[in-house]
Amino acid sequence: MKYLRNFFVIIFGIYLLVLGFVLVDVTDARPLISLFKNIQSDSALEVVDFSVEKTNISKSKPAPNPNKNPYYGDLHVHTKYSFDAYVFGVTASPDDAYRYAKGEGIKHPLGYEMKLREPLDFYSVTDHGFYMGMIQAFADTSSDISQNEFAKPFHNLNSLDNLTVESAGQRSNLFSSVLEGVITPSYPNWHPKILKAYLTRNTQAALKSFDYDVHKSAWADIARSANEHNDPGHFTTFIGYEFTTSTNIEGGNLHRNVIFESSKASIRPWTRIDSLNPEDLWTWQDRLREKGIDTIAMPHNANGSNGQMFEMETFFGKAITNDYAEKRMRNEPLVEITQVKGTSDTHPLLSPDDEWADFEIMDVRVGSRPPTYSKPSGSYVREAYLNGLTLEFTRQGNPYKFGLIGSTDTHTGAGAFDESNYWSKVGLLDGDPENRGSVPLKEENIERLDEYMRAFNQPISTVNLDQGEYANTGFTQWGASGLAAVWAEENTRESIFSAFRRKETFATTGTRIAVRFFAGYMLSSIDLNSESLVSEAYEKGVSMGSDLLQDENKIPEFIVWAQKDKNGAPLQRVQIIKGWIDVNSGRPKEKVFDVACSDGMQPDPITHRCPDNGAKVNINDCSITKDVGSTELKTIWRDPEFAHQDKSFYYVRVLENPTCRWSTWDAVKAGFKPREDLHETIQERAWSSPIWYNPNQSNVDVIPLGGTIELRDLN
Amino acid sequence: MKYKLSIFFIVGFVIYLIDISLNSYDETEIYISDQEIISLVTAWKSQVGRNPNDDEIARIINNLVEEEILYREALSLGLDKEDRIIKRRLAQKISFLKQETLPKAPSIEELTRYFNTNKEKYYIDSKYTFTHYFFSSENDSYKRAINSYGDITNDVNVKSDPFLLGKNFIDISSREIDSDFGSNFSSYFKDIELNKWHGPYKSAFGHHIIFVTQFDEGYYPDISTVLDRVEVDYVLNQKDIQLENYLNEIRSKYKIYINPDLKI
Repeated sequence: MKYLRNFFVIIFGIYLLVLGFVLVDVTDARPLISLFKNIQSDSALEVVDFSVEKTNISKSKPAPNPNKNPYYGDLHVHTKYSFDAYVFGVTASPDDAYRYAKGEGIKHPLGYEMKLREPLDFYSVTDHGFYMGMIQAFADTSSDISQNEFAKPFHNLNSLDNLTVESAGQRSNLFSSVLEGVITPSYPNWHPKILKAYLTRNTQAALKSFDYDVHKSAWADIARSANEHNDPGHFTTFIGYEFTTSTNIEGGNLHRNVIFESSKASIRPWTRIDSLNPEDLWTWQDRLREKGIDTIAMPHNANGSNGQMFEMETFFGKAITNDYAEKRMRNEPLVEITQVKGTSDTHPLLSPDDEWADFEIMDVRVGSRPPTYSKPSGSYVREAYLNGLTLEFTRQGNPYKFGLIGSTDTHTGAGAFDESNYWSKVGLLDGDPENRGSVPLKEENIERLDEYMRAFNQPISTVNLDQGEYANTGFTQWGASGLAAVWAEENTRESIFSAFRRKETFATTGTRIAVRFFAGYMLSSIDLNSESLVSEAYEKGVSMGSDLLQDENKIPEFIVWAQKDKNGAPLQRVQIIKGWIDVNSGRPKEKVFDVACSDGMQPDPITHRCPDNGAKVNINDCSITKDVGSTELKTIWRDPEFAHQDKSFYYVRVLENPTCRWSTWDAVKAGFKPREDLHETIQERAWSSPIWYNPNQSNVDVIPLGGTIELRDLN
Repeated sequence: MKYKLSIFFIVGFVIYLIDISLNSYDETEIYISDQEIISLVTAWKSQVGRNPNDDEIARIINNLVEEEILYREALSLGLDKEDRIIKRRLAQKISFLKQETLPKAPSIEELTRYFNTNKEKYYIDSKYTFTHYFFSSENDSYKRAINSYGDITNDVNVKSDPFLLGKNFIDISSREIDSDFGSNFSSYFKDIELNKWHGPYKSAFGHHIIFVTQFDEGYYPDISTVLDRVEVDYVLNQKDIQLENYLNEIRSKYKIYINPDLKI
C-alpha cells in the first residue's frame, strides 16, 4: 500500500516537473531550455498520401501543346467545412463543389440552382484551416463534442426548416462568436491534453472546443474529394485550404490560400492557431518541401488588409532582409488580385492618373463590424510591385515579385463569375437582391434587417434613396469576380502547378479573356501575322512572370496578344502598366500606356490613350452597342520612355467594352432602375503577371541615414 | 360448443397470467442482453487493444444502463415528439435500411441490361485531329476566307492570320472544340470528309478553313472494359429504386393535407 502511494506521488511529481519545463520552455528562449524542444514531434509535418484508387476507365488525354493553352479555374472555394459557410446555411460538400466546376448544377442554400455556363478547367476547395469541420460537428447532435455548452447554439443549424433569410441575425451572431473566440477556452494548465498539445506541437488540441479526430477527418475528406475528381488531361484539382490569419493590431487581414502540388499533403493544415505570423507558415512550407511536398501560398484581399498585406517591414516590425524576401517569394509566387470582395489592382488615391483605377473598390477591412476603413497604402498590388523595387533599391531584396491570379472566395461551393447570374458568396446573407442591396427592401424586411444588423454590431444597415430604402451592409461593394488562368502545356496537376511556379498566369474578373505577353530584344523581327508567332516569341523572348535582364544598350520590345471571351463583350483596349524606380531620385513612378485599340484605331502618341470607340450600354435592358470592339488585339510595343538604369516592371491590362454590373442586372430583372449610388456598368478585364526589367547592378550603394535596414554583405 | 369456447378463453387467460408474471413489461425494469455487453466489450477491445478489467466492464455496463434510463425518461416525457432531428434520424435509418437490403450480388445479365439502357453515361467522345487557316474578324474575315479557299485547295500560299490557340489540334473532342472556338463550332465537324479542305466556317473569332486528318468516332465501350464502373452505378441505382418502390408502396397509406390558399 505504501509502495503504491509512493508510486503515485512520484508519478505526480514527474508530471508536475514536465509541466514546469513546458511552461518555462514556452515563455523562455534560452538555448539550454529549448533543448527540451527535441522531444516534441511535429504533427503538422506528418505526410499522408490521400490518393484514391480509380475505377474510372483511363480516358485518353489530348496531346500536350508546346505553345501552351490557357486554362481557367478557381483556387478559392469554401464549402460546409468552413465555419463561416456552414453558419450561413451552406451544406455543399467538396464533392458538390467539384461537380459544379465540371458543369453540373448544385443547390444554393436558398433553394435555387447554381450552374456554370461553361465548365472550368481546374478548381481547388480551400476551406478555412482553423476550426475546419468543427462547426458542423457542433451542429450534428449525434457527435460527442456537440454535447458541450459552447456547441448548443449551433445545434440543428442547417436543418431544412432553418434555412431562411430570417435566421440571418442569429447566424451572424454565431459567426462573430467564432471569430471572437467565445468557443476557444483551453483546458487548464495541469491537464494532460495541454502536455499532449505541447509534445505534438499542436496548439489547437489544447482547446476544449476542438476535436482533433473530427478536424483530421474533415481535412481527409477534402483531400480525398480533390483526388477523386482529378482527371488528368481534362480537369485538375488541388488539395488546398485557407490560412486565415490576421495581425493582432488593427485587424489587418493577412489571409492566404495554400495548395498542394500532388496527391500527398500534411495530415492537418497549418493554421492561425499554430501561429498568426505568415513567416511561420513559410517555415512550415519549407520543411514540407524538404520532405518532397511542394506547396504555394497565395495572399488575397490585400484591399481589406488596412495596409498590412504588403508592408515595408516584417510581421513583427523588423526590417525586411534578403532572406525574408527570398523566403516569401519561394512560398508565395502568386497573389489573388481580384475576387468577390473587390479588386486589389490599385486605388484612385494611389494611382490618380489611372482613369480605370476606380474599379470594384472595397474600402473596408475584411470582416470588420462595424465596417472600418482599410487604408489604401500597403493594400494594393501595383504599389506593392513599386515597394518591392524600392526594397530592392535599398538592397533588401524584393519580397513583392509575385504573379497574378483571380478567384472567387465563394462560400457556397460554387463561384459566381457572371454579372447576369450572380449570387454573391455567403449563402443566406446575400443570396437575394434585397439583402445584397441592389433592389429596395420590402417594408417587412427593413425591420428584420435592422434587427439582425444591430445584433451584428452594425448600427446603420439601410440607406434611403430615390426608389426606396436599400440594404446598405457592404455587399454592394462585392462583385462577380474572378478567375485564375494559366498558360500550361496540358491540363494536369504537374503542368498547371509548374505554370504557377514560373508565374505564367493571368487574372480575370470572371470573363474568359486570353492574353499572351512576351518581352525580348529581337521581338520586332517576328511577323505578328505569322503562324509561328507564339513559338518564335517563346524562343526569342521571355513570357509573363519572368525577368528580362539588361542587354547593353538594347531596348526591350513587348508582344501582347489578347482574345475576347467567346461568350463575353468585345475588347476595347489593351494597356501596358509600367512601374519603375527613377535611379536618380529613388522615387517610384507608374504610368498606363494604351498599346492596342479596338476597331483599327491607334493610341495617341502624346497621351497614350485610345480614341473612344463609342461602345454604350442600355441600362434599361443591359443590351450593348453592336459591331463595336474587337475579337482580338495584338501588337508589338516599345516603351517610349525607356531608361536603361531604371528597375521596372510591365504588366498588361485588357479591357472589355462596358457591360451591366450585377447590381444593374438585379434591378432590371426586378423592374427597378439601377441604384444611383453604385456604378451602373463595369468593364470586365484581365491582368497578366508582370515582366520585370533588371538593369545591371549599379555601383551606387544606397545607405539610409539612421534607418532600421539591416544591410547584408553587398558582394 | 359454448363450453368448448369458454375453455379456450380460460386457457388463454391462464397463459396470459403466466406470461405477465414471468415476463414483466414494467417500464421501470431494464434488461441488458449478453450480446449487447459482448458487442460493447469487443468494441472497447478493438479500440484499446486489450481486454477490459472488471472495473472497466462495470463502467461500460453502467454507461449503458444510464443511457437506457435517460432514454426512457425522455420518452416518458414525450421529448421525442416533434423533434426534427429525431424525425430525420429515423427517416434516414429506414431509408438506409431499405437501401441496404440488397438481395444478392448483381448477375452479369443484370449488369448488361443496365449498361444497355444507360449507355450514354459510358459514351467515349468523338476525337478529331485537324489543322486550319484562320481569318480574324478584325480584318474582313469572311471575304478573305472565301477568296483564299481556292488557293488553299491548290496548295498556293495564302495570307491567313495566326489563331491564339494554335494551328494544329490533336485528338480533341467536340466539347473541347466548342470550348476553343465557340458558337457550336463542332457541328461543322459532323460527317466531314477527311483530308480535304472545308469552309469557311464561322467561329466566335472569325472564319476558318479546316482540314481534318483523323477522326475517331465516338463509341460505346465494350462492357468488359467498364464493368467496375457499371457495377458501382448499378448498385447505387438499385438502392435508389428500392427506396422509391418502398415509398410508393407506403405513400398510398397516407392522406396529405396542404393549405391550398397558401401564398408564397
